Amino acid sequence: MMEDIGGDDDVEIPLPNATSNVLKKILEYCEYHKDELAPASEDESDRIKRTTDISDWDQRFLSVDQEMLFEIILAANYLDIRPLLDIGCKTVANMIKGKTPEEIRRTFNIQNDFTPEEEDQIRRENQWAEDR
Amino acid sequence: MQNYCYRHHPDVSCNRQADAKQMEEIQDSLNQLDKSDQEAISHVWSIFSAAPASQRTLMLKGLLAQCCFPQLSQVAAMLDNAIRLDFITALPVEIAFKILTYLDSSSLCRAAMVSRAWKRMADDDIVWHRLCEQHIDKKCTKCGWGLPLLEKKRLRESKRAMELRTQQMMQEQQQLHQPQTHNSSSPVSQSASTSQEPPKKKRKTRPWKEVYAERYIVEANWRGGRHRSAEFVHTSPVLCLQFDEQYLISGTSIGIAYIWDIETGKLVRKLSAHAGPINALKFDSTKLVTGSTDKIIRIWNYKTGASMGTFNSHASVQALDFDQTLIVSGCADGMIRIWDFKSKTCFTLAGHREAVTSVRLHSESSTLFSGSDDATVRMWDLKTRKCVNEFSVPGSSDAHVAQISCVLPLFIDHLENGGESGSCTSFPDDENNKNSMFAVVDERDPSPSTVAATAAAQDRRRSDEEEEARDRFNSSMINRNNSDSMGIVGKYFSADTLVDPRHPTHILTGSLDATIKMWDIRTGKLVRTLFGHIEGVWALAADSFRVVSASHDKTVKVWDLQSGRNWHTFHDHTGPVCCVGLSDTRMASGSDDCRVLMQCFDDFGAQK
Repeated sequence: MMEDIGGDDDVEIPLPNATSNVLKKILEYCEYHKDELAPASEDESDRIKRTTDISDWDQRFLSVDQEMLFEIILAANYLDIRPLLDIGCKTVANMIKGKTPEEIRRTFNIQNDFTPEEEDQIRRENQWAEDR
Repeated sequence: MQNYCYRHHPDVSCNRQADAKQMEEIQDSLNQLDKSDQEAISHVWSIFSAAPASQRTLMLKGLLAQCCFPQLSQVAAMLDNAIRLDFITALPVEIAFKILTYLDSSSLCRAAMVSRAWKRMADDDIVWHRLCEQHIDKKCTKCGWGLPLLEKKRLRESKRAMELRTQQMMQEQQQLHQPQTHNSSSPVSQSASTSQEPPKKKRKTRPWKEVYAERYIVEANWRGGRHRSAEFVHTSPVLCLQFDEQYLISGTSIGIAYIWDIETGKLVRKLSAHAGPINALKFDSTKLVTGSTDKIIRIWNYKTGASMGTFNSHASVQALDFDQTLIVSGCADGMIRIWDFKSKTCFTLAGHREAVTSVRLHSESSTLFSGSDDATVRMWDLKTRKCVNEFSVPGSSDAHVAQISCVLPLFIDHLENGGESGSCTSFPDDENNKNSMFAVVDERDPSPSTVAATAAAQDRRRSDEEEEARDRFNSSMINRNNSDSMGIVGKYFSADTLVDPRHPTHILTGSLDATIKMWDIRTGKLVRTLFGHIEGVWALAADSFRVVSASHDKTVKVWDLQSGRNWHTFHDHTGPVCCVGLSDTRMASGSDDCRVLMQCFDDFGAQK
C-alpha cells in the first residue's frame, strides 16, 4: 500500500471508515506480527485450502464483540492487511461452522424470512449434505 | 458526511435498522407514563438522536456512569443481543464470499437455510466452484473427502462463465458501496446496463452446488456401501474383465469372451476363437485384445465381432496390456513379449524367473511394470529395454512371500499415515489412530496358484485431449532433457530416473500371500501393507480414491487409497474372485462361481 502511494514517510493515509478504537486494535495486531515475513504472493486457492486454524494469540486478539470484529475486517480489507483479513474471515466462518440454521440466526440476529413451505423445500434440497 | 457516524450514514447498507417490534414495545411503555414524563423522555431521545457521534458517546458515558449494577446488567444483556450483526449481508460481497469459502459443504447447506439473503450467497457458484476444485478428483487433505470426477469436461466449461460472474458481482457491489461517486456522475445507468446484460446468457450450465451434490452423493454411497447390484451370469469361471460406460467384457475359462450391455444387462455378443482359457483382456474405444493359454493374442472389433488380427505369443498369455503403439504380453515362460505397431517390430524382456502374471504399460514415461510368480515386481525402461528397478526383492524383510498376481502403477498426491514416502505430509494424531484399523493376519497361507488371472483393471480415463496434449508436450520436453544427460542407466535407479516427474509415484501389488502392498517408486521402499484378505489376492483396481481387491477368499474389499483403511468387504461371491474393475460410480468382480457382479453407487434409488 505504501508503494502504491509513493513511499514518502509522511504521506497521510486517509481512513474515513475507521474509528480510533479499531485503529488501536489494528496497530496492536501489526505490532505483534511486525517481525513476521509478509506472506509471499500466494495463490488465493492455496490460502483457502489451509485449515481454519487460528493461532492462540490471534484467537484472543479477535475475542471481541461482533461490531468490533466487523470493523476489523473492514479495516483490514481497506488497509490490505491480508493475514488479518484472513483470520477475521476465518473467525466468522468458525462462528457459522457446525451450527443449525436456527443457531446461525440466533448468533447473527437474523430474521427467518422463508415461508414454511419454502423452508421445507430448502431443507429437502440440502438434505444430501447431512448424509455422511 | 460530517453529521453521521460512518455506520449511520444513510448510504451505508450495513446501517443497523431499528427493530420495528422493539420500537412498538418502547412506544407502549412510553404511552403508559404521564404526559409530562412522556415529553421529558422524548426530549432526551430527540436530543440524543440529533447529536453528532462524539457527543452521543459522551452522553452515553454520562448515562452509564449514573447506572447501578442491576441497570448495567440489563444494559449488558440488551447489548449482547443488539450488537449481533449479519456479517454475510453487511460485509462487502467479496468478503462475504471469502468467509463462505472457509466453510465445508454441510455448513454451507445449513447456511443456505438461514434466510433468503444467505441462501443467495451460500448457494452461489463462486463458493461451490471452489469446493468443487478442492474435492473433485482429488482428496482434500483437510476433510479427507474427495469426489469422483464423473465428467471433467463440464467442469472446465463453466469455469469461464463463473469467472465472468465474479467480475460482475464485484462491479455491482462497488456500485452499491460507493453511492457518492455514482450520484455525482451520470455513467451509472450505462455501466449498470452493461453489467446486467451478461447474466441472462450465462445460466446454461448447472449450478456448481448441484455438480458438487451429485458427486457427494456418489462418494457418500461408496463410503456407506449403498449400491444397486447387477449380475451377469456365465457358464464358466470368469478370469478377466473390464467395463466402461457402455460395455462389460469378460473372459472365461472356456476361451469365450462375452460382451455385455451394462445398462440393459443383456449379452451383446460372444467371441469364441481361443482354444484355451482367456487369462487377460483389455479394450478401448475401438478394439478388444484378448490373451489366452493357447499362446495367441487376438485383436477384435468388439462392436462387430470381427477379428482384426492375431499375435503368436509363443507361450501361454498370463497378462496383457496395450497403448497406442505397443501390445505387451506377460507369458508363462517368464518372458515379456512386446509388439510395436509403429515399427512393426517385436522384442522380449527377459528377467523374471517364473511366469509373468501382470503387465502394466505406463506410456507417458515409457515404462512397463511387471509382476511375476517369482514374487518380484520389475520396472522396465522401454527405450533401453532394461529393467531399471525391482520391488519386493526376495529376501528383503518387506517383500511379498508368494507369487505376485497384480501390479498397478499410480499417481498419488499425498498419503495419509504414509510411512517413508518423501512426498508425504505429516498428519494430526487422531488421523493416525483412525487409520490403523485393518486386521492383521499372522498366518499367511498362500493358496496354490492354478490360473493366474489378471485384472483388466481400468485405466484412469483421462479422456481430456487438452491435458493429454499438454502432457505430451511436457514429456517431450523432458525427453529431450533426459537424453542429454542419459547414459548412466545402471542396473537400478540413476539419479535421473529418481526424479523423473513422468513416472508414476507409487505401485500397488497384490500377491497370493494375501496382502496388498504399496511401494514408493522413487525410493523403492514399501509404504504400507494392506492386511485383511485371508487368502491370495488375485486382482486389483484403483482410482484416485480407492483400491478394490479380489481374493481367493471369495471376497472383494474396498480400501481407502490414501489411508489404507478398509471401507467395505463384499461377500457376494460363492467362489474365488479372479478379477475386478472400477469406475467412478461402479465396480465389477468376476469369479469362479461363473458370475460377474456389478455394484453401482450412483445416486438414483441407491438402496442396499
